[in-house]
Amino acid sequence: MSDIFPKWTNSLPLKVGIGAALLGTFALGAVGYYFTPKYTRVGYKPTQPVAFSHDIHANQLQIDCRYCHNNVDKSWFSNVPAANTCMNCHSIVLKESPKLELVRQSYTTSKPIEWVQIHKVPDYVYFNHSVHVSRGISCVECHGQINHMDEVYHAKPLSMSFCVDCHRNPELALRDPKDVYNLDLKVDAEKQLKSGLKLAHDWKVNASQNCSACHR
Amino acid sequence: MKTIPPQCPEPEVGPKYWRSLDQVAETPEFREWAEKEFPAGASELTDPVTRRNFVKLMSASFLLAGFGLSGCRRPVEKIVPFGRQPENYIHGKPVYYATAMPTKGGAVPLLVRSHDGRPTKAEGNSGHPDSNGSTDVYAQAALLNLYDPDRSMRSWKREGSGMSAVTAGAVTDALAGISREAAANGGAGLALLLERNTSPSRARLLAELTKKFPSAGVYVYEPVDPYVHVAGATAAFGKPVAPYFTLSSAKAIAAFDADFLGAEENAHVNIRGFAKGRKVDKSSDVMNRLYVVEGAMTVTGTNADHRLRLAPSRIIGALARLGSEVAKLTGSSDIFSSLVSSFPGSNKVGEGTAESWVTTCAADLVANKGMSLVLVGYQQPVVAHVMANAINVALGNVGSTVAYLPALPAEGSIGDLIGKLTAGSVSSLVILGGNPAYNAPVDLDFATAAKKAKNIVRLGYHEDETSALATWHLNQAHFLESWGDARTSDGTLVPVQPLIEPLFNGLTELEVIARIGGFSSVRAYDVVRETFSQQFGGIAQLDADEVWKQFLHDGYLPKSAAKPVVVSLVSGLALAHTAPAAPSKDKLEVVFARDYSLDDGRYNNNGWLQEMPDPVSKIVWENVIAVSATTAKELGLEITKLSSQRIRNGDSLGKALKSNESLVGNDEVTIKVNGREVTGPVWIQPGLADNVVVVALGYGREVTGRVGRKSGFNAYKIRTSSSPYFASGATLTPTGKMLNLATTQEHGSMEGRPIVREATLENWKKKADFATNMDLEAHFPGVVGTYEVKTIGRVENRPKGIYEHPYETYGTNVNSGLGPRADRRQILKSEVHQWGMVIDLNSCVGCSACVVACQSENNVPIVGKDQVLKGREMHWLRIDRYYAGSVEDPQVASQPMMCLHCENAPCESVCPVNATVHDEEGLNVMAYNRCIGTRYCSNNCPYKARRFNFFDYNKRENDYAEVKTTKRGSTSWVTTDAGLYKGIAGVDKNSSAEWEIIKLGKNPNVSVRMRGVMEKCTFCVQRIEEAKINQKVKAGASSNVQVPEGTFTTACAQACPAEAVEFGNLLDPNSRVAKLRASQRNYEVLGFLETRPRVTYLARIRNPNPKMPDAYELAFTMKEYTDAGKGNPLESHHGAHGAAEHGSEAHGAAEKKGAH
Repeated sequence: MSDIFPKWTNSLPLKVGIGAALLGTFALGAVGYYFTPKYTRVGYKPTQPVAFSHDIHANQLQIDCRYCHNNVDKSWFSNVPAANTCMNCHSIVLKESPKLELVRQSYTTSKPIEWVQIHKVPDYVYFNHSVHVSRGISCVECHGQINHMDEVYHAKPLSMSFCVDCHRNPELALRDPKDVYNLDLKVDAEKQLKSGLKLAHDWKVNASQNCSACHR
Repeated sequence: MKTIPPQCPEPEVGPKYWRSLDQVAETPEFREWAEKEFPAGASELTDPVTRRNFVKLMSASFLLAGFGLSGCRRPVEKIVPFGRQPENYIHGKPVYYATAMPTKGGAVPLLVRSHDGRPTKAEGNSGHPDSNGSTDVYAQAALLNLYDPDRSMRSWKREGSGMSAVTAGAVTDALAGISREAAANGGAGLALLLERNTSPSRARLLAELTKKFPSAGVYVYEPVDPYVHVAGATAAFGKPVAPYFTLSSAKAIAAFDADFLGAEENAHVNIRGFAKGRKVDKSSDVMNRLYVVEGAMTVTGTNADHRLRLAPSRIIGALARLGSEVAKLTGSSDIFSSLVSSFPGSNKVGEGTAESWVTTCAADLVANKGMSLVLVGYQQPVVAHVMANAINVALGNVGSTVAYLPALPAEGSIGDLIGKLTAGSVSSLVILGGNPAYNAPVDLDFATAAKKAKNIVRLGYHEDETSALATWHLNQAHFLESWGDARTSDGTLVPVQPLIEPLFNGLTELEVIARIGGFSSVRAYDVVRETFSQQFGGIAQLDADEVWKQFLHDGYLPKSAAKPVVVSLVSGLALAHTAPAAPSKDKLEVVFARDYSLDDGRYNNNGWLQEMPDPVSKIVWENVIAVSATTAKELGLEITKLSSQRIRNGDSLGKALKSNESLVGNDEVTIKVNGREVTGPVWIQPGLADNVVVVALGYGREVTGRVGRKSGFNAYKIRTSSSPYFASGATLTPTGKMLNLATTQEHGSMEGRPIVREATLENWKKKADFATNMDLEAHFPGVVGTYEVKTIGRVENRPKGIYEHPYETYGTNVNSGLGPRADRRQILKSEVHQWGMVIDLNSCVGCSACVVACQSENNVPIVGKDQVLKGREMHWLRIDRYYAGSVEDPQVASQPMMCLHCENAPCESVCPVNATVHDEEGLNVMAYNRCIGTRYCSNNCPYKARRFNFFDYNKRENDYAEVKTTKRGSTSWVTTDAGLYKGIAGVDKNSSAEWEIIKLGKNPNVSVRMRGVMEKCTFCVQRIEEAKINQKVKAGASSNVQVPEGTFTTACAQACPAEAVEFGNLLDPNSRVAKLRASQRNYEVLGFLETRPRVTYLARIRNPNPKMPDAYELAFTMKEYTDAGKGNPLESHHGAHGAAEHGSEAHGAAEKKGAH
């Protein structure tokens, strides 16, 4: 038989078996990650038309989130600032910077900058920013450490199970309203649970788990 | 133990409580129809796309989908912020602007919601002193006209045989040319034809224009003209005055051919006043009484306590008789007595008891002196209005129920204009709005006369029949795109302010008049502002801006209502009127009625209105030739004959339905009157006067958009200037063809049970809780036992239902083993909000404003006639209309019906995928994404409130239909064939430019549902959530999370002019809804099913006059209930009636079980 099949084929069935097993495991893993709510778009980091750094503005310069996203506590939509907001500072700071060319253009021509949307829930989900930030849920819960991101990426899954997990146990995320925009706040788990439960009780927090909370 | 569901009541003895004539006839077709959830054929694809084609196309598309897996990636979406953000703009927060919809005789003050600059919903302005937030169907539907893809999108000039689009500059030049010409010859040859409205700015411009060009002619034409009210009052009192009615203070109302709750101008204000007089908390409260004398069956007629059928031509005689009786009883002034004696009407009312009907009615009016009201409709001649005004004066009603406000003298009529045109003395004819080529009296032949003018300039919203005559067609702006002003019926000034820049650069009427006048201010805003400061300013210039801003903010000018004028009857009025001969079988009387959906035809291309079921006949998408049952029998047009004829022709029911045909076929007939004829389907309308034919105007347009195309027939073709509202001497002849009529009437019939509960005021005095003393609830023992329920302020024993209750356990004796589960349920119930709704059937008049409001708020699609024929209409809220009594003189009751949000919801327990579940605040919610379209829920819904998307109605082409004639047996059938959704083979509107306009009108807070999904009323969950979120944002770090009463309401409750719908939080003891739920009249529909609906109804109270010849002791529906042997709701009784035989056994069993 060795005339027909070279010697190395002796181990072939084993190799194929191991290969198939590996491939299968990989495929399972891939399906488990990419096709379940764990992934959705985690890690998505598109290139934006203007290289805006949250790290510089929110972390190093300590500008409050609401300076630019000023409607976050008023509307379901957390607005991306208009060019005139940028120009409040950049008409003085870095006023010649080529990086800001698009911003200056937008300001003078009123033509909008087309930012690529990163965080998005499906159209049939009616998420509301204002109710979350007004009732003690910090930006960091859904957006991650966005104040340390040079380029913004999708940090949390924003899947239905992600939402429902928090709605089931809001006490794990509730904080004092003054700390909502303090993205670096670190509280140990036990303390958080204690204060969270108290806040949930005092404010009559009822994070609805009904369909009608998000789907209309 | 197997639970035995409660037995449904037996069908009544004798089919008396019926919803349609087919039900009276009890035809086998009707039985089959009624027993099915969706009619046969509704679930079948009867589409030209064959299965083979479909599979082919599908596999092709799957193959394409495979390449590149483009479907697996989310599309990249952009966020586009402003370059410079406008101040106070918050993306995602709707803004409300006060404006008003101008109407012929007033205006509807509105608050319009704008999402990011696009109007999405019109609501009534509750601040306005006269309308208080009431609206009508037209105001609710006007939004759709703004986003009508068939509206005129350009101005053009006729050049040779074609039209060439022109720029705004060219239009301005053309108008300036007319102005120069007029300035040169003093306006000779210039004629303006306008619609009626109440704009002070327009009146001012026209006055200035005629001053500048004295020879210019100003004419006004309305096909359905409310001006006769002014003409009548002016003739009676000798000065130009308009009557203004305050129905809320009237205790006895007599309407003579006056459809003041329906087709009359300002019906929304009238309904509000009328409903106020019907709101009763306890039986000792005073309630108004409504007498109606009419020929057609109108909305007002359906609400009458006493109704007399009379041909419209006879009504003037009845009014004369009423006048003489009032004169006799009041012994009033000589002027009135002499008017009565010289009145040209016959003093004989009609046959039978009609005479004593009128005299007893007169006695009641006199008994309520100062608090009574006599109304005459727009159809009646001026002499009738003179008489009504005189009677109101004699009854001392002036100052209480009727006031006279100053009015402007009449402009020229269309007859005068035609005269001038024919004489060749008009060179430039300017037609602003309207559509005279379609709706002018046919004998005047407007089109021929108009062609004598050298230059016809036409400002139009659509390119229609009149545009076809024009040399210049100017594109008109929608009122939501325009500046303007108007005065509501009480004279209060309201602004018309734009919410959006004109989408297609439309012009307003004011701009065109200002340019023709050559005035210095030509912008509509400037014109309105000038009028405001000239006529309503009177304040230092510094403050004027503030006053103006406040005016725009409030949407009305406080205290600007007209001051009533003191009036006295003119003596020695010479009145002339010749009543035509009484109608007979061979000389029928044709009545031309304003349509409840399309008005005079102006809303012809509005899908919401086309598909709004007529409040009385429930017909959609067309008009009919309505006759009474007696007349139909005499003419051989009986409906039962039609059914048997079809069976004789060998059409099995299933076969007929599969071929796109409805159950009920109607004879096509030709009406011939005065040598003109028109053809349409016959409809047997209960309650119509005999030998009277009623046709609605506004259909059968020749040049219109795709929605209105081929809907109905054109009744204007037989309408002449001498008899604009009713014509005598007509004949009806069947053509031998059959037509399909789409009506929502038969769908979901609830046969013979006390669904609408009614009693007379006397009955109610006798038995306070009659409403809950009906049906099985009267002594319902609970088949599976009872349990204690703690509701607000009381503990009651409720029977256990056959469905599980989402919040409540059935007590320890049953659920003792369920411990932890019971605890969990308690947690799932919100202690902050429990939503509920109460509908007062005593105030609801059936106007249907709620139906359109719901459609507008919730993105409910229209489906077209062809789909309605199959029972696939999508309205979340319908109004059921029930007849009771005889076919000739029925009593009518309307009942709004939608998802009742049952606590023990039968739909929830059958959904295999949990797509419909309960939320913690009492809503029965639908998760569209979970729905797989089994339709089990719909089958199990006892109220038939669920709607299924058989097709992608939102994506479908909205073409109305093609009409085709088919031969079937010996009969020709005229059928309509609508452009069905054709899947991937059809046009996807999403990709068309048209969609860009249509989608602007959608409410962004409500999902647009797709094919295969069940949907239903959500209690406007988007509004609930918005209110809750706003409250939580306000609460911040506090526990103040309960939404206060009055913060928001549902779309239907907001729109309701009668305030019949109350929505609110049942846990708030001060909420109106909680109070109403505790009312004696409160009852649950099909309460014996123990579904525990969150929508309950307040029983209707009728207020008959026991002295009347047609007095009744029991409301007809209650009489039928007792006649059927179901017991007497007015007596306390314990399980002694037929249907309860079975129940009493169960009662005993339950008691035994309870004792264990």
